[in-house]
Amino acid sequence: MGRRTENQKIEIPPGTLYMLILKTLANGQMHGYGIAQRIHQLSGEVLQVEEGSLYPALQRMLIKGWVVAEWRPSENNRRARYYSLTKSGQKQLGAELSEFDKVISAIHRVIETA
Amino acid sequence: MIVGEMWRRLIFLFRNAQFHRELEEEMEHHVAMKAEARRRQGLSPEEARRAARREFGNSLLLRERSSDEWGWAAIESFMQDLRHGFRMLRKAPGFTAVAILTFALGIGANTAMFSMIDAVLLHPLPYPQASQLVLAYTANQQAGIAESPLTYPDFTEIRDENRVFSAVASMGIHNLTLTGRGEPSIVSTVVVTPQFFSVLGVQPLLGRAFLPADGPRGAAPVAILSENLWRSRFGADPKIVGSSVDLDMRAFTIVGVMPAGLRSPFVPASEQVWIPLVQDPLFSSWMTVPGRHWMVTLARLKPGVTRTQAEAQMEALAARLAQKFPAQNAGWTAGIRPLESEVIGPDVRKALLVLLGAVGLLLLVACANIASLLLARATVRTREMAVRTALGAPRARLARQLLTESALLGLLGALAGIALAFACVHGMHSLLPPDMPSLRPIRVNGEVLAFALALSLAASVLFGFAPALSAVSGNLHAGLMESPGRSTTAGPRLRVRSALAAVEIAVAMVLLVGAGLLIRSFVALTSVSPGFDARQAWQAEISLPRYEYSTPDQWVAFSNQFLSRLQAEPGTKDAAFGVPLPFFVQGDVVLGVRIVGNPPSQHGAGPMAHYVSISPDYFRVMSIPLFAGRFFREEDSSAAPRVAIISRAFTHRYFPRENPLGRQLVFGFPPNTQVSRRIVGVVGDVRDVSLGRAPAPMMYVPFAQEPFWGGTLVLKSPLSASSVNAAIRQAAASIDPNLPVTNFQPLQSAVGASVAQPRLRALLLGLFGALALILAAAGIFGVLSYSVSQRTNEIGIRLALGASPGSIRKMALAEGAKVGAVGLGAGALAALALARLLQNELYSVTVRDPATFVGAGVLLGAVALAACYVPARRAMRVDPAIALRHE
Repeated sequence: MGRRTENQKIEIPPGTLYMLILKTLANGQMHGYGIAQRIHQLSGEVLQVEEGSLYPALQRMLIKGWVVAEWRPSENNRRARYYSLTKSGQKQLGAELSEFDKVISAIHRVIETA
Repeated sequence: MIVGEMWRRLIFLFRNAQFHRELEEEMEHHVAMKAEARRRQGLSPEEARRAARREFGNSLLLRERSSDEWGWAAIESFMQDLRHGFRMLRKAPGFTAVAILTFALGIGANTAMFSMIDAVLLHPLPYPQASQLVLAYTANQQAGIAESPLTYPDFTEIRDENRVFSAVASMGIHNLTLTGRGEPSIVSTVVVTPQFFSVLGVQPLLGRAFLPADGPRGAAPVAILSENLWRSRFGADPKIVGSSVDLDMRAFTIVGVMPAGLRSPFVPASEQVWIPLVQDPLFSSWMTVPGRHWMVTLARLKPGVTRTQAEAQMEALAARLAQKFPAQNAGWTAGIRPLESEVIGPDVRKALLVLLGAVGLLLLVACANIASLLLARATVRTREMAVRTALGAPRARLARQLLTESALLGLLGALAGIALAFACVHGMHSLLPPDMPSLRPIRVNGEVLAFALALSLAASVLFGFAPALSAVSGNLHAGLMESPGRSTTAGPRLRVRSALAAVEIAVAMVLLVGAGLLIRSFVALTSVSPGFDARQAWQAEISLPRYEYSTPDQWVAFSNQFLSRLQAEPGTKDAAFGVPLPFFVQGDVVLGVRIVGNPPSQHGAGPMAHYVSISPDYFRVMSIPLFAGRFFREEDSSAAPRVAIISRAFTHRYFPRENPLGRQLVFGFPPNTQVSRRIVGVVGDVRDVSLGRAPAPMMYVPFAQEPFWGGTLVLKSPLSASSVNAAIRQAAASIDPNLPVTNFQPLQSAVGASVAQPRLRALLLGLFGALALILAAAGIFGVLSYSVSQRTNEIGIRLALGASPGSIRKMALAEGAKVGAVGLGAGALAALALARLLQNELYSVTVRDPATFVGAGVLLGAVALAACYVPARRAMRVDPAIALRHE
């Protein structure tokens, strides 16, 4: 809470974290820190991914088979775990995007008519 | 997709350690990247790392949440508890060893006993659908006959006219002499009607079962062998079917071999021969005797037919028979009884259940002891629990962990106990009466294992529950303030432990009283004189093949020749013949007697006596004294007037105020109303069935006047067993080389065998009692040591204020004595109530035998006091200076 007032960052809306991670990985494999950073940058430094949600979510996605992980040297020459999208992950991304579109446009309609 | 997911989860379970390592590395990497970013913003490396760590938060929690995603949280924490439990048990090896040993004793004894109950009481018959098997009987209320075998016409009527049985068969036992192929021997021969194997529901291993065509008179003689006989005697000859064997010198064609698992009901031998009824010389002659009840009849209920329906059918058939044969069947009814209850007598059942109850009590003592140990440990660990609670461990989790620990103890104990049971079950057969067809081998099978595991888990969880509750329900603050030497939560636990010790002593008292009663009864039993002298006496059985020796004159001639050959040698001159001998089947032949000159008796209420046919020297060889008249002589031959000798019990019961000498008796085997016998002597009483049963009235007849196709030789000789055996065989073979001599043994061993059962039961209960005694002593020792160590401080103050060490010891002893006295009192009351269960097994000892109760109480009290003495001495030697510095 303290951090939010200090840095003007807001947390990811519930239910969209998987979609954001999948979308980020669609451009190529990435480690956990990279994923968090990329989401932070691309959102104009608005969205902040908590490590406490990121890693459990990645485990969940490993179980589901949406992503696979492999150990590779990272840019600072340390071993890092890189995640990449699987076929079933790509399908899931498509499903989540269209679901998200539906929800957003529905919310728009409600807001505009109200 | 789902399969893939489950597979990945499963892989995770096996790579748990790797998973945690990798996750940790991943976190490290994340923090390092973060720190680098901070450094680029201008922080010093040290500050950057600290900031990154702070932002990252609790990495342990994160790791746990990540691994929780995989859905194995419950198992993981269980494995954690288990690992922790193992560590704790290893850290306290003394406690662990004692607890596991105690558990192993309780579980082992119970498992062994249960495996016997399982084999004997739960599955007594090794036949398919054994609950359909019944024993048919007839009864005559007016004549006072509660149960009797069937007559031949009864049997055929029931076999042919019933609508409730799928098969009906009769069986008899008549051991025949098997000759040809090796030494002549006597085989257990079961004489049956053709449907016998259909009733039992068994298929032959080789060849065929009996067919209806084997049943009628004039059918070709056929025989079926048991697998064991086929293997031992015929070398498992695969071409045995169709070949021929000689039974009592008559050729039988072998038509089949029955599997080894099959034993006939009531016939324990594993080597058996079955022949059709018409082929047996003895039984077939009875088929035409009207009114003779001799057919032991088994039947199998049709599926879906209830016992009540079958009972009704039997009654209807009996009524029809009474109309058809009014002379023989008037007054006779018929009924059925489950075969299972026939095979296991109520005495055996009760004795086994009493033993099961006793081991159950032993387990109770063991569990109380373990609960007490666990409570003591819980006290030691109060601080540990308080610290862990303060650090955020949920109390439920702590309780679960303690339960896991006690379940682990229980499981280890159960494993040791099952090993113990495996070692014990081999000897368990000897707990059963030798004549009981223990048809199913006693072994530790799946059911028994399930019983053992369920028992140990139930016991350990139940008895781990109190310590677990008390460990986590305590006041956190008080727990943290506690020091190992002095405990504020000790009070309630001490009370519970004292109560447990009292329970242990009470249960030990019950077991000791039971053991004491059985032991005293056994001692009384073995000091009873059987009425004859079995020292240096031997017995051996001779059976004459009835096809070769068909007339009674031949039997007499054989016995005369046989005895005179033995008596001619100085070493074997004390030889006699008896049919039957005491403790063998004597007492099996009980005949009704009419005393000439006395008014005719009411039906069934007339004199009855055991019947024995003997050679003239029998009483001298057996050392049975003569009280009046004379012994038999050579002159009492078949040509001479019929004579009889009666026992003192006969005189007391049936000639209470008269001189029996010269009176006439009418009896016979088979009954013959034409022959009366003059009483020429009165001899001493003999306990012929068991040492525990009062001597029955007996009547003896000369073998020459009532011969038999064989009998038992009794021989008194100072020679060694092997030379006596050789002399007997030589004498028999010199008359007929085909004669088998069997069952050679000391006469004493038959007497000993009759008390083997009471001895074993006394021994077992004695063992249980001793174990309970040790456990109870350990229990009260533990409680008192604990109490003394908890009160070190108080004792120090008392000593500092001038109390004498002696008074301190007295105080500690008094505390132990209080627990002991409560236990003893409760135990004595419980023993008074429970001893009645032993009533049927006791001989000349009452269930309230004061000596036993006092003896058990004194023994237990002394042991308990001795157990208290060590901690009491320790209390006395407390150094006040050290004790007070404890604060």
